[in-house]
Amino acid sequence: MILERSTAWKEGFIERLENRETWDNWKLYKMSYEITKTNLITDFHGLQSPKFLPNFTPLAHQLEVAERVIERMNGKAILADEVGLGKTIEAGLILKEYLIRGLVKKALILVPASLVSQWIEELNQKFHIPAVQYKKNYDLNHLTIVVMSMDMAKRSPHKENIYDQDFDLIIIDEAHKLKNHKTKNYEFAQNLKKKFCLLLTATPIQNDVFELFYLISLLKPGHLGNYETFQSSFAASKHNVEGDEYLKELVNQVMVRNRRQDTGIEWTNRRVQIIPLDFTKEEKEVYDLISELKNVSPVFSDAFSMLTLQREMCSSKEATALTLTKMLEKCTLPEDISYLESIIQKIMALEINSKAEKAYEIISQANGKVILFTEYRGSQTYLQWYLQSKGITSVLFNGQFSKSKREWMKQLFKEKAQVLIATESGSEGINLQFCHHVINYDLPWNPMKLEQRIGRVHRLGQEHDVHIYNLAIQNTIEDHILDLLYVKIGVFEKVVGELDDILSAFKKTI
Amino acid sequence: MYPQQIHSYLLQFFKENNCQIVSDNDHFINVQLTIEMDKKIMNRPFYWKYLESTNGVPDPAQLTFITDKNKLDENIKGEVVHIGSPRLSQLFQVTKELGSFVQMYEKVNDGLETKTILTPWLGVNYKVSYYSDQTKETLYSLGINLMTGELKEAFQESLYEMDLDVNMPDNTFNLPYIIKPLRALERLDAVIENTIQQDDHTWAEEAKMRWKKDREVLEHFYEGVEDKPDCYETEKEAMEQQYEARIKIEIINGGLFYLK
Repeated sequence: MILERSTAWKEGFIERLENRETWDNWKLYKMSYEITKTNLITDFHGLQSPKFLPNFTPLAHQLEVAERVIERMNGKAILADEVGLGKTIEAGLILKEYLIRGLVKKALILVPASLVSQWIEELNQKFHIPAVQYKKNYDLNHLTIVVMSMDMAKRSPHKENIYDQDFDLIIIDEAHKLKNHKTKNYEFAQNLKKKFCLLLTATPIQNDVFELFYLISLLKPGHLGNYETFQSSFAASKHNVEGDEYLKELVNQVMVRNRRQDTGIEWTNRRVQIIPLDFTKEEKEVYDLISELKNVSPVFSDAFSMLTLQREMCSSKEATALTLTKMLEKCTLPEDISYLESIIQKIMALEINSKAEKAYEIISQANGKVILFTEYRGSQTYLQWYLQSKGITSVLFNGQFSKSKREWMKQLFKEKAQVLIATESGSEGINLQFCHHVINYDLPWNPMKLEQRIGRVHRLGQEHDVHIYNLAIQNTIEDHILDLLYVKIGVFEKVVGELDDILSAFKKTI
Repeated sequence: MYPQQIHSYLLQFFKENNCQIVSDNDHFINVQLTIEMDKKIMNRPFYWKYLESTNGVPDPAQLTFITDKNKLDENIKGEVVHIGSPRLSQLFQVTKELGSFVQMYEKVNDGLETKTILTPWLGVNYKVSYYSDQTKETLYSLGINLMTGELKEAFQESLYEMDLDVNMPDNTFNLPYIIKPLRALERLDAVIENTIQQDDHTWAEEAKMRWKKDREVLEHFYEGVEDKPDCYETEKEAMEQQYEARIKIEIINGGLFYLK
């Protein structure tokens, strides 16, 4: 056991004994003793932090998480509460506790760029933790609690500067961005020294169980065995984890996950429905032509772009035409060119967008604010124009907006417009509890993206039932996407636990 | 600490440091800092350096501290101070710094014919912290009679029953100490170490078990890997820092006490 002591007091005492310094004030002496006594941490267990936060009362489930992570998980955990339950608060509580107990002196908080200022604000105001935003040319030696964007951190020279530091606690927000172990993000995180470490994500599995394996291996290498043993024991097939209670148990040792319904808070309901649609005859014809492209010429055989085109066709002719025009520029053979041109012509001639019409119908019946998510910029612009022509005001939102522009758009949406049209990249870090209708105009491949989208409105502070409309065109690629979404949700629920409704409840039983 | 306690703490702190209390309401105070206090807590060395090199007129800050925001109706701008706020932590630190060493005499009734004999004691307040991935702290207040070597526990608390003064009262006679203060300090240090040795250290054993378990998991991950990557070593080092049991002995304050 290591014994640490300092001779500083003794030296000061000698100076007084030898009359080189004056003695101190008796009242201050007594005050110092009394303060020490009052602030003494007399027990290894229990949380000290709540009494240091007089103006803010954490919720019961948040306190439980903090205590459990510190006492039973030794300060290394994945915080995987459902969206909107306050993972930031939980991380703040844990950080605060370690600061009070003197176990953490330096901490690094890595977050998406768009969330940096939000984190600083929460830590400063709720927790009185003097966190600062890292900027170029800052000297990490002089900073104790640093918030930094992941994108910046992983680049030189910041990366090296970070490795040179002795951080006691590392917090990574939106940790599902580390799911791919071949990325720079993952490699960077893997090489960080993680004494205490918190990974925050509502969606620890997005597509398959290996993502969770890599996430846990980052936190605690070996906890799920090494890759070979994990693969052979748990994954005969990627999506099949039947009956793996054992895996669930292991996962629970390093992961805490609260669901809305176990928080003891009254939550409004989710009313989720899938709205099947049919193309018009003309739309269907174009869709089929696009699907045939791969058989027309080897130039069009790239599976990925074909899938994209099919999905775009399910979204809007504007989105599709953009991609087709780009493809056209790359074509050299005259027959390829003329085939594409004929499709483009047919597309431009389309007068009806069935999905947009359905969306309009939902919006006009919604009787309140609506958020509509699309995957494509082309569709975003088109929908704004289309809704405008029907007398419905809307604002656009996407991830490239600066912080002030995001705030401005949110304000406009709240006060002026009925609809917010967001692209995927816009679905992070904005909170819109004043709205309770969500239209998923296009379906993403990944169910957790749906969860993140819904989480923008179905969070603490929402007073109404939240209506979610998933639009899907029958007999197209969207059927396939729906099926895959159900499979992925199934994997998630088997390994991680139940998931709140995101597609629709009834189909689960099928 | 409740708002009331913090309020009276602030009042006392600034009074003892000769800072004028400009106004004292029951939930906020306004204080005029002295130059010394400004230098200690305002963190503006360049201002003072500039002022001193230009012979300017010093203008130490006047601060408003709000101790109970809930009671605040007035339109007052000021720093909200509560347990956990950086300002209060800073003032605690200054209190510790300015209240580390004392020399005190017990007061004696006047008019006694014979001189009262005062016996010298050394009193030291220790904070002992146990660290692994968890913490626990204990406060020990020890006193040692510099004539006889007699030990007293809860020494600080016993002083509260006495009337103490910084000046040696008239009519008293100090015994010269037989045990030198530094020698006495060594003895108290030894007592503390002994107390620690006698203490229950299951916590350290348990931390060791957690450490062992985590190490096994790690070894399992890299089983059969010939050239282990750097992150393997980093991980091992992190575990050591996380779980290794450490004990820190810190002296909060101490001093010489001449008692009846």
